[in-house]
Formats: sequence, structure tokens, C-alpha cells
Amino acid sequence: MMLGIILALLAGGLVSLQNIFNTKVNEHTGSWATTTLVLGMGFAASLFISLLVEGRGTFSLQHMQPWYWISGMIGVGVVICLVKGVRQLGPTFAISIVMTSQLGFALLWDSLGWLGLDQVPFTWNQLIGVLILLGGILVFKFGGTSENRGSKYESH
Amino acid sequence: MKGIIFAFLGGACITLQGVANARISQDIGTWQAAAITQLTGFILALCILVFVRDGSLAQLKSVKPLYLLGGGFGALIIFSEVTAIQQIGVTFTISALLIAQLFLTFVIDINGWFGMAKQKMKVPQFIGIGMMVAGVIIMKF
Repeated sequence: MMLGIILALLAGGLVSLQNIFNTKVNEHTGSWATTTLVLGMGFAASLFISLLVEGRGTFSLQHMQPWYWISGMIGVGVVICLVKGVRQLGPTFAISIVMTSQLGFALLWDSLGWLGLDQVPFTWNQLIGVLILLGGILVFKFGGTSENRGSKYESH
Repeated sequence: MKGIIFAFLGGACITLQGVANARISQDIGTWQAAAITQLTGFILALCILVFVRDGSLAQLKSVKPLYLLGGGFGALIIFSEVTAIQQIGVTFTISALLIAQLFLTFVIDINGWFGMAKQKMKVPQFIGIGMMVAGVIIMKF
């Protein structure tokens, strides 16, 4: 339980750093050159760590399903949607919707247990917690910081 | 309206990606899952780059090397997110992740780290973070 929370917080912190670094890269080139670089670096780092941790076992891909090979393309869909969303709505509004949608689908996924993940039964506390958290995100996002703040960080 | 649909789908895809990675990790291992999904994403992005040509990789020479390495965090992000999803479920993972993400961005803003323009702290941001943490605590009661 504790380990899960710590890792989720670590992931969030790294996403924040990565967004800033990506924005710096994006100032010099376009979204697709940035995305290509970011995914290429991510692949290289994952392969390197996998070789360190698992050695030759890295290449024994057991129970490989065909769809595993194409799931990485979801990431490209994310970039397209975020770039277009931010362009049309501005960063504050767009990212608020993105985060709302992320949490809504997370709750749906836990309740339904699709794709063979452990089902986490729906409780009203979960829904109320998510709604208060969303309220917090909206207060945070719309609470009087300038619009350019978001555009620097959150558009890829 | 189109913008709202894009933003909505974008958020759905981010969650879907975390869940798909968690599923794939069960079969082939977490680091391998991170490597394969980013490799296929990289190949597709490269193909799009060749068609769109909205920038070239040569322009990257003018970027500070530290910032070029940001992509490497992807390995740790996927590993941490997948392990968290397996341990505490999708909703709790995404909730904690978003709080940490917003909070660190906020801290970087206030201090003006990485050459970002300094921002003043304002009351709504503190209230917002307080509400987010309260939401997570209620979720677990």
C-alpha cells in the first residue's frame, strides 16, 4: 500500500519534470520532433535498465499478445489530442478536461476490471473523493494565475 | 466543442495507456513493457515526423543537453505507475500522480527553477492542493 503511494507520487513528480524539459525542447523544434526524441530516449532508458536488471532475460518475451506491439501507439494519440485540445481551448481549460477525463476513466476501469486487472469495487467514497479532488484541480487551475503559465508547461 | 472532445480523448488515452502497460507487464515484465511500448510509439512518431516535418532533429543541437534527457524519465514513470496500479488500483494511482505532478510544477513555478519565470503563490492554489489531498483521504475511508 505505502509502496504503491510512494511510486505514484514519484511518477507524478517525474511527469512534472518531464513536461518542463519537453517544453524546453519544444521551444527549439516542433511537437513531432520533440515526441520522437522523448519516446526514443524513454525506449533507450527502459532497454538499458532492463538489461541491467534482467540481463538476457530481457529478450524472452513470454505470452506476448499481438496487441502488445501496438499499444505504444496510444501514446502518439495522447500527443495529438493534447496538442489539438490545448490549441483550441488554451492550456488551463484543456488540461482541466484532460485530468477530469483521466480520473473518470480510472474510476470506470477499477470498477469494471477490464483487461484482466484486479477489480476494485466501486464505493461512494471513491466517487465523492474523486469529485472533491477534481474540485481542487479546478480551483488550482482557474484560481487566478496567468494563462501563459500553463502554456509553458503543459502543451507538448 | 472539437477541442473539448480532443482533451477528453487525450485524458482517456493517458489512463488507457497506464492500464495497458500494467496488463502487458503482467506477462512480459515491467521494464520490457516500458521498452516495447515506447519503441512502437517512437517508430510511429518518427513516421509522422517524416511526413509532417514540423521540425528537425538537427535543431535539437541548440537545446541544453539536460533537457534532451527528459525523455529518459519515461522508463521510471512507466515502471512506477505500473507498479502502483498493481498495488493500489488505477483510481488511487492516478489521483496521487496528479497531485504530485501539480504540486511539483507549483514548487518549480514559485522558485523559478529551470529558468522558468517566477510565479507568486496565491491563495486559490493552496486551497486547491488542500482539496485534492482531502479528496484522496476520503477515497480511502
